[in-house]
Amino acid sequence: MSEIFNLLLFQNTLRTATPVVLCAMGCLLSDQVGIMNIGVDGMMLMGAFFAVLGSYLFGSWAMGLLFAAGIGVLLGLFYYVFSIKFKSDEFIIGVALNILAGGLTVFLLRTLFGVKGSFSGPGIVPLPTIRIPWLEGVPVLGAVLSGNTLLVYVSWLLVLGIWVLLYKTPLGFHLRASGEAPEALRASGRSPERMKRLASVLCGLLAALSGAHLSLGYLTMFSENMSASRGFVAVACVIFGASNPPRVFLAALLFGFIDALGLRLQRYIPSDLTSMAPYVITVAMMVVVVLLRRKKQRSTL
Amino acid sequence: MSTGFLQSVRALIALKPKQKLTAQYLLSLGVAVLLAFLVGAGIMLLSGYDPITCYGAMFQGALGRPRALGNTLAKTVTLCLTGLAMSLAAKAGIFNVGGEGQLYLGGLAAAIVGAGMEGAPGWLIILCAILAAMAAGGAYAFLPGWLKVKLKVNEVVTTILLNTAAIYFCSYVANGPLKTAERGIASGTAMVSKAAWFTPLIRLSNLTTGVFYAAAVALIVWYLMTRSTVGFEMKITGTNERFARYGGIRAERLMLWGMVLSGMICGIVGFIEVFGLHHRFLTTISSEFYFDGMLVAMIMRYQPVGVILMSFFFAILNIGGSAMELSAGISSELMLIVQSIIIFFMAAEGGISEMVRAHAAARRVRRAAKRAERGQAL
Repeated sequence: MSEIFNLLLFQNTLRTATPVVLCAMGCLLSDQVGIMNIGVDGMMLMGAFFAVLGSYLFGSWAMGLLFAAGIGVLLGLFYYVFSIKFKSDEFIIGVALNILAGGLTVFLLRTLFGVKGSFSGPGIVPLPTIRIPWLEGVPVLGAVLSGNTLLVYVSWLLVLGIWVLLYKTPLGFHLRASGEAPEALRASGRSPERMKRLASVLCGLLAALSGAHLSLGYLTMFSENMSASRGFVAVACVIFGASNPPRVFLAALLFGFIDALGLRLQRYIPSDLTSMAPYVITVAMMVVVVLLRRKKQRSTL
Repeated sequence: MSTGFLQSVRALIALKPKQKLTAQYLLSLGVAVLLAFLVGAGIMLLSGYDPITCYGAMFQGALGRPRALGNTLAKTVTLCLTGLAMSLAAKAGIFNVGGEGQLYLGGLAAAIVGAGMEGAPGWLIILCAILAAMAAGGAYAFLPGWLKVKLKVNEVVTTILLNTAAIYFCSYVANGPLKTAERGIASGTAMVSKAAWFTPLIRLSNLTTGVFYAAAVALIVWYLMTRSTVGFEMKITGTNERFARYGGIRAERLMLWGMVLSGMICGIVGFIEVFGLHHRFLTTISSEFYFDGMLVAMIMRYQPVGVILMSFFFAILNIGGSAMELSAGISSELMLIVQSIIIFFMAAEGGISEMVRAHAAARRVRRAAKRAERGQAL
């Protein structure tokens, strides 16, 4: 048992949960303004590719992040323009965006790098790891909480930041209003479209950064379809976290924990089954949360 | 249902132009395809390829030889069935994005039956395999459908997550308990009884007698969707669920059935792939076939006849894309990009034409106002 349940398990949990946390925070913002973004998986994939591209071309992780952020902002804007300006079906745009991302990244992988499947190399600079000296002295916490990559800490700050933004600032109030009562917001002299644009751009940005964590965080490589439906897991986390940042964060951590546990169990159980578990459990958790919510509603009635 | 109700529903559906393939829509589709091809040509030029050679290689590779044409037709069948599966569910107001997983499970079930019934007559094996594939696909679609109808759990997310789960599960089965003992097969189950194999219609191509089963399914779906009461009720449910309920339609049951039927069709696609092409279940049985079909269905607004025709075009892009990669050297993923561009254009078509119309109207008003002003000044 000690081989499975040790510190490494919790370190892995943070690693695997972080992309989902980042992406889920983006989805959450988009959800709050009333845009269902199921294109985040594609945005994550594009972010992963462009992060590797930037890092490789300039030999710097910061350029990698900048590239990912740039493509994320563009894709967020793209999603906004199509779903709000052109009034397209969000579902269709999301699916098409995922397919575009799958096609474009593979196409670029072959055209720019001339490789099939995956691209890795010494030229790709990974994200820096950050050590917190005063925490390292603490026995268990130090090993888990210190020495993670940059985006892990960013994701924690984001959870707090987005919660404050949404519930403690006027801007957050307007953001939420643009989803819940756009006409009321318009009547107060503010444009719900601008709020939606802002949220959609932030969603694209965060989804792309989550991709950067996938490709530069702990593996310095890009491989075809490396997002592996994590974007959809993030959407699921938002649904069962009821768009509340701390709850969504916990849901993503739970996913990361199951994923990490599966990795550690691979020595005993076929890897296909351990890879399958997080997805099945995510669906099961969605059901449980809906059931609990219903029960609560019934008891308040 | 009373006739009065039926008439009012007809009027309601007629008011929703988005549901129909109008001439204007088809014209926009033509423009979208043209634009997407131009964007594709631009990408080719940027990456140092000659568009005319590439597109030439694509059409040559898809339609040039009987064998190529056979492959394109076989691909059409797959796209058409998956597209119809999507349409059937979407028309009932529920989105089945989980067809990929249903296809895998259907293929696996068919392969298990096909290998297990060695020695039985071919027709019996085929019959049992179809039923097994339908049961597997249908059951796997029932789960998210039931969750949607009973608990209002978002079906798009559950079906996508279940896709990944099913693919891993099938991979586990094909690599573990049911792995074939034959050498040289990476991850696959035992071979299906030879008596039940489909015979190729065009030599060396993927086109087999499986196409007749597909045609039968397509015909049934077309009838169900456009000619039957159930199809009509589904259409109303998909258009306006509350209105349907008001008219005495049991909307939830229809949605659930739409989902299950959709899953069954996906199972059959898996069955056709196994019995026609691979003769066993392989983990590489489908490379996101369902998503291609889904796109076709969305572009054609879930109209069965449109889906069938559009499948052929997308099959050309798909099969031709691979041929293009072989002869011209450009990555076949370019065709995925072209396809998604067509979809972006078509999804935005309504909004853009509305904006253009509003713009034109505003200009007309402005011009009239200016004229009136001038008239006053004189």
